[in-house]
Amino acid sequence: MAPRLGSEADHIRDKARRDLLTLLEGVRGKKNLVISKDLAGPVGLFVKFSVLQEYGVDRIFLLENANVDSTQRNVIFLVHAEKVHQIGTTAEQVKRLQENGTVEHDFYIFWVPRRTLLSNKILEDTGIIGDVNIAEFPLYFCPLEQDVLSLELEDSFGDLYLHKDPGCILLAAKALMQIQQRHGYFPRIVGKGDNARRLADLLLRMRKELEAEELSGLDDSVGGLLLPSLAIESLIIIDREVDFATVLLTQLTYEGLIDEFVGIKNNQADVDSTIVGAAVPPQASQGSSSTPQSASKPALKRKIQLDASDQIFSQLRDANFAIVGELLNKVARRLESDYESRHSAKTTLELREFVNKLPAYQLEHQSLKVHTNLAEDIMRQTRSDVFRKILEVQQNYAAGSDPTYQHDTIEELIARDVPLKNVLRLLCLESCMFGGLRPRELENFKRQILQAYGYQHLLTLRALEKMELLQPRSSTGPVVLPGGGASVGIKTNYNYLRKNLRLVVEEVSEKEPKDISYVYSGFAPLSVRLVQCVLQKPYILSLTKGGPTPPTVNTVSAASPGWLGFEDIVKSARGSTFSIVQKGDEKAARARQTLSGSGGVKTVYIFFLGGITFTEIAALRFIARQEAPQRKVVICTTGITSGGKMIEAAMEKGSFAKAA
Amino acid sequence: MAPSNPLADWEKVGDGFYRNTRIYEAVFADDFELENFIVAGAPYGGAIALYRDESKLSRYRDAQTAKSSIDIYSYSGKLISRINWEHGSIKGLGWSDDEELLIVTEDGTVRRYFGLHGDFAPFSLGNGAEEYGVRACRFWSSGFVALLSNNQLISVSHYSEPRPKLLATCPEGEVSSWSLIPPTYTLSRSVEVLLAVDKTIYTIDATDAEDRVLQNGPFKHVSVSPTGRFVALFTNDGKVWVVSSDFQNKFSEYDSKAKTPPMTIEWCGDDSVILAWEDEIHMVGPNGAAAKSAFVTDDVTEDVFRLGSTSPASVLLDSVDQLDKKSPKADENIQRIRQNLSEAVDICVKAAGHEFDPYWQKRLLKAASFGKSVLELYSSDDFVEMTEKLRVLKAVRDFQIGMPISYEQYMRLTPEKLVERLVNRHEYLLAIRISEYLHISADKIYVHWASQKVKVSTADDDALCRLIVQRLDGKPGISFELIAQSAYDEGRSHLATQLLSHEPRAGKQVPLLLSMEEDGIALDKALESGDTDLVYCVLLHLKKKLPLASFFRLISDKPTASALVETSAREGDIELLKDLYYQDDKPLDGSNILLSEALKQTEVQSKIEKLHLAAHLLSDSKDPIALFQQKSLSEAAHLLKIQETLDKEIADGPEFSGLGVNETIYRLIRSGYGKRAQKIQNECKVSEKTYWWARLRALVAKRDWGELEELGRVKKSPIGWEPFYNEILGAGNTKLASVFVPKCTNLPAAARIEMWIKCGMIVKAGEEALRVKDLNTLELLRAKASGVAVSEIDRMITQLRPRK
Repeated sequence: MAPRLGSEADHIRDKARRDLLTLLEGVRGKKNLVISKDLAGPVGLFVKFSVLQEYGVDRIFLLENANVDSTQRNVIFLVHAEKVHQIGTTAEQVKRLQENGTVEHDFYIFWVPRRTLLSNKILEDTGIIGDVNIAEFPLYFCPLEQDVLSLELEDSFGDLYLHKDPGCILLAAKALMQIQQRHGYFPRIVGKGDNARRLADLLLRMRKELEAEELSGLDDSVGGLLLPSLAIESLIIIDREVDFATVLLTQLTYEGLIDEFVGIKNNQADVDSTIVGAAVPPQASQGSSSTPQSASKPALKRKIQLDASDQIFSQLRDANFAIVGELLNKVARRLESDYESRHSAKTTLELREFVNKLPAYQLEHQSLKVHTNLAEDIMRQTRSDVFRKILEVQQNYAAGSDPTYQHDTIEELIARDVPLKNVLRLLCLESCMFGGLRPRELENFKRQILQAYGYQHLLTLRALEKMELLQPRSSTGPVVLPGGGASVGIKTNYNYLRKNLRLVVEEVSEKEPKDISYVYSGFAPLSVRLVQCVLQKPYILSLTKGGPTPPTVNTVSAASPGWLGFEDIVKSARGSTFSIVQKGDEKAARARQTLSGSGGVKTVYIFFLGGITFTEIAALRFIARQEAPQRKVVICTTGITSGGKMIEAAMEKGSFAKAA
Repeated sequence: MAPSNPLADWEKVGDGFYRNTRIYEAVFADDFELENFIVAGAPYGGAIALYRDESKLSRYRDAQTAKSSIDIYSYSGKLISRINWEHGSIKGLGWSDDEELLIVTEDGTVRRYFGLHGDFAPFSLGNGAEEYGVRACRFWSSGFVALLSNNQLISVSHYSEPRPKLLATCPEGEVSSWSLIPPTYTLSRSVEVLLAVDKTIYTIDATDAEDRVLQNGPFKHVSVSPTGRFVALFTNDGKVWVVSSDFQNKFSEYDSKAKTPPMTIEWCGDDSVILAWEDEIHMVGPNGAAAKSAFVTDDVTEDVFRLGSTSPASVLLDSVDQLDKKSPKADENIQRIRQNLSEAVDICVKAAGHEFDPYWQKRLLKAASFGKSVLELYSSDDFVEMTEKLRVLKAVRDFQIGMPISYEQYMRLTPEKLVERLVNRHEYLLAIRISEYLHISADKIYVHWASQKVKVSTADDDALCRLIVQRLDGKPGISFELIAQSAYDEGRSHLATQLLSHEPRAGKQVPLLLSMEEDGIALDKALESGDTDLVYCVLLHLKKKLPLASFFRLISDKPTASALVETSAREGDIELLKDLYYQDDKPLDGSNILLSEALKQTEVQSKIEKLHLAAHLLSDSKDPIALFQQKSLSEAAHLLKIQETLDKEIADGPEFSGLGVNETIYRLIRSGYGKRAQKIQNECKVSEKTYWWARLRALVAKRDWGELEELGRVKKSPIGWEPFYNEILGAGNTKLASVFVPKCTNLPAAARIEMWIKCGMIVKAGEEALRVKDLNTLELLRAKASGVAVSEIDRMITQLRPRK
């Protein structure tokens, strides 16, 4: 059984849709659906509102709004069962409906992705467990694109690094287990970082338990033992904390910049309608179809769908913003000449052909307009004095020049009252790249921040410290040296890695990029360089040792798998380094090998634990294109992140001004 | 001697044949009065439960039988177990597909007996069952419906987590009979009940009670066919109607001519109905044909055995006889059916499956074997599988085991479930043999065996544990957790602990460990499993159970556990968090909680109080971070006080309260309170740079050009003069902005030239260029210039251009 390549995303999407609709079908008659905010978006990725309606869903409410009306007999809750407060809110609302409603209700709770003991306990304590029908909706990965599978866990970054709650690692493991159960085991698991190690350990444990269960026949669904997959080459896990710095840099690809300035959530961006114009009816109903009625929202924002269904966006998304204008011009010219072709249409046949293509033109034209306006607005913002100053500080940090030279600029930014998020991003970047700030300087900055933005940010600063994003430099000297010493790997040593993995590339062509560093206009994300250490060894060697770049990046990793050749270098990045081979029953594997051969394109799964940025996705896609003949790359993550979201996780939202 | 031909017990009804297969003989003792018992048989040839019908008199035999009990027998009459009954009047006795016995009593209590040996789980029907009382129950494969004496119906659609649900209210009246259509066969996928009330019938589901508006009632019997498509009704005038279950079509009518209604009406297959009186049985086939018998023959069986059948399969069977007689006709036969031989073999294989008698099974398989030996290309898989299945069926049909399961039933039940049933009957040896024979895992059997061993054995803990571990050695999937649970249930907790340590799945051990009060180990195992849900559960349990101090001690060296406690406490139990930080000696975190609380206060005074408390927590700390925090908290309180005064003295309402220091200064300057701003700068030690920036932005916002110009007269600015230029230019005052250009001496000439241009002062820009002798720029400027400026620039250009 060789599963069709590229079908993993489709498979997951189809399964999720089928599972949900089957559950809905099980509830007879019309029903109201109450969905938690963090699920509304992901559900919209695989099923449209109109389809839900066909399955009897009358109205949709957000759990957080607590405004379910009590007219409908059937009330369904679709909520994550991993978080205490969400379970609690669900229980409260069931109880409230029971008490207030004039209608007798039938309650259904579909726990996502599984029914937990915790949820049972809370429902029991509330005294309603006997009154609700409980089912599971096993939604783990949500496919964002054919090559991007995300758990879409919004809070995963804060959970993992601030609250030290490893819940999302378990969910990641379960999601990856589903892939293994479909395709066979990852023949090799390569990883970097302590949480990555934890994830790998969970995978090994789950495999053992699964095998035990298969042997004992407890699990009827799986026939026979799983073997290492022939279709998969390996799983590479990168723990976000290995490379916080990359995320803190301002993303410079088109999609990355949209995320920085507007924000992209579940493939959608809410853009000011003054920029992109008001919503056009057909597109609006498509884009926002799945989102629950939120009529209270002012109609000033327009939802823009940002995915591969938009051809123009597909061409732009991963390009450096510097060339987006040019690309847009090209598209505009092509569209125009296409459109002009109507004049050259002579025969009726040609004319009909043109008319047939017309809707496609119009769609493209729409999209062109949206993206031109959006790009112009972004251009305007990138030209601002503040943005340029921020970028300059970042570029200097990235290049490794003495950070104290940037302090005046940062102080100026604070005095000018630029958003705190931007200031903290710079300070955290310095802390991450240089192993902390000098205690005196850090204290000084903290004082300035508290005076400028309010003392509530004592909490913000404390949180950043807990996340190890903003710390005083330890007195023992900056960062550890590679290759020796007991404290190896405590912090990522960017100074060393900058040189040894060639993170900074001066001669970068944004137009025809030769290296992933194009995404940050000259800085290669460390996280992706690490992936290259596994997948593109000769290239990295040629890059660092000099010498000719190999004409084609050939596959050597089969001969030198894992971190081989880079063990010492990789040690200077934070956390555990590992490469595990998952063996199956040797005889069976060999027998199968002879039967089906070992050729064919194999897939590499790359899991970014703790989040991935659009820029990193662009860089990974760049690698994927180079590797295309031999390999396929599927990017997996707990969620899409950005420097802003990272800081946001730590940010105290309350203030002394507003009384709660 | 060949047993009688399978044909012997056939009966023709309409176009089809029916047969009655006698499986066991003399099952019960001769004096056993079956008619005095309520009997319920489990599906798929499972166990039979008997309970003496209380409404009938019975002969007193001995004290044992007089005692009320429910007896579970195998089909062959072997007593499997006896459940003593003292729970009141039984109103429903039925089985689920999983061979669980359901007993419903009048008061609405349902007891679900699993494993055939008296272990049960009770639940209550609720919904008024207790007041009105249960009158009767009807069961289907995974649920049942109870009829209360007030004609209300309660359905239970699954047993794992029963949710008794009231169906739609039905009208009052005399219920003469009723039946149900299982959810699998209804359009709505939920159970529907047919209730014969007075002269008509109602169809009732969760939401509606629909009157079928019939006139021929009261119907003494309502019976639904096995697939739920048809319903047989016994009318008041002794007729049997067969109608579609939606009551839209009537298919047949049969006049029984009987004066008394039959005891029972049952369906036989999906196309005939059996009426049973005490002394007579009528069988109504399709379209009203009648006979007296049971069991539909299968098409394949008919194909082979039907008298005078000339089908290839029949011929093939005949060939075997010929072969036995060494007659050449055998070969002739084969040649005759050559074209259809493969099909004939298939049919013989299938027919063997439907035969109960091993003799005929063998005959048919022999015929198939003979046939396939002639065929060149024939996959023997079906044949081999069938022999395997028949061996299994033969083993379980043996009267010692007593499971007369048919081939079709076996296919639907699955081998795994069959093994489970054997295990429930403690037939471990046969269960293991069958598992090994069919290559399915026997682990569950071992677990059941071990659990049973634990229950009955009197050996000491160590010996017993050794025995079990030894016996189960090398079987990785064994769930020691289940065995340990049985040990614990028997009160042998030491044995349970011993057994549990052999459980490979950390997560599985946790619940039992908790109930055994092995708190520390339970928490460790939960953490080991990596499942936060499990950890949360253990934590919740322990928090409830232990004194707070011991709880904190338990989690103190477990960072993940502490983190989860912190996370959940932050959302609901702040006091717990304070205690935790106090006990863990984390004053900084404790102080931060108070700071969060300060943010939530509405009154300034209480905010300040909380801040003082927060600072106070840190008073003993020497850690530089704590010291900084303490200082900052005092500053925060101080600032709030200052702002409170400002709000009182110069603002209408709470304008300043809660702002940052910089913002406070900015607003003061913008509103013209420069002195107060300066005072705050001093008090809060705001740096000159910051202060100048605030002043610049505020004055620009205020459009106070005079003050800005005044500022420009100062010799030095801590932030340089470029920001002045930029901000003022940004506000649109090019004239004033230009004043600051010459002051930006630190900038290169090129930058200053650009600044002049932005102010629209080309000549000034030219002068700057002239000073640095930049001819190129001058020429560029010339293109931009207009009016007088042109000649000015020209003059400068000639000045620079070297004389020829």
